[in-house]
Amino acid sequence: MENKKMCLGLYTGSVDKLTAAGVILSGAAANDMEVDIYVLLQAARAFKKDIGDDASKLNMAENAEFKDEFMASLNNLNVKTWVEFFKEAKEITNVKIHICGLAGKVWGGEKLEDFIDLADDICGIGAYIESAEEADINLFI
Amino acid sequence: MNTEELKTLEPTKTVDARGTACPGPLLEAKKAIGTINPGDIMEVWSADEGTKADIPKWCKKQGHEYLGTIDEPGYFRIFLQKK
Repeated sequence: MENKKMCLGLYTGSVDKLTAAGVILSGAAANDMEVDIYVLLQAARAFKKDIGDDASKLNMAENAEFKDEFMASLNNLNVKTWVEFFKEAKEITNVKIHICGLAGKVWGGEKLEDFIDLADDICGIGAYIESAEEADINLFI
Repeated sequence: MNTEELKTLEPTKTVDARGTACPGPLLEAKKAIGTINPGDIMEVWSADEGTKADIPKWCKKQGHEYLGTIDEPGYFRIFLQKK
């Protein structure tokens, strides 16, 4: 049986939504799905080398006033950081992370080396659309 | 299998994922199944309620046989056979 494909348009640069994306990615990995992630505007900032897992540099999408409580709770529950989730999914299944060229430039990232090692390439919007057309599951977070 | 039958099984691998919340146990199961042979029995320990439903569904998708679950105080022992 051919593996199912998931296409994820990752727009968010907030730590809570990135964590949710990581959890979903784990489920896809457990089921051997092939995943294409397109890192769009806000998410490209989180993928910068100097940001990544540094939660102090990331905001919350919702309930911003409870960020400390949220982060402490994740820690108490032994929940991985969003970068760890993405890294583990890549180890288990075929996950490709594409940084949108425009998004990178918005945050001062011109080259692949400007982003955390998980990023595979810098792409254009055409690649996203092509992947979205072929995918069994499309998500936009 | 009922609880008594499950208790007689001798798993090749026991995965203690009680220290992690969802999706930890499912990922631990996914990683561990690659280390055993077809026909081997694996047991997953989880304190996460969601895992009780997730592992049987995951087995069905992946083609493994879900054998049953024993409820222990504070956690579940979920048994499956690799196909």
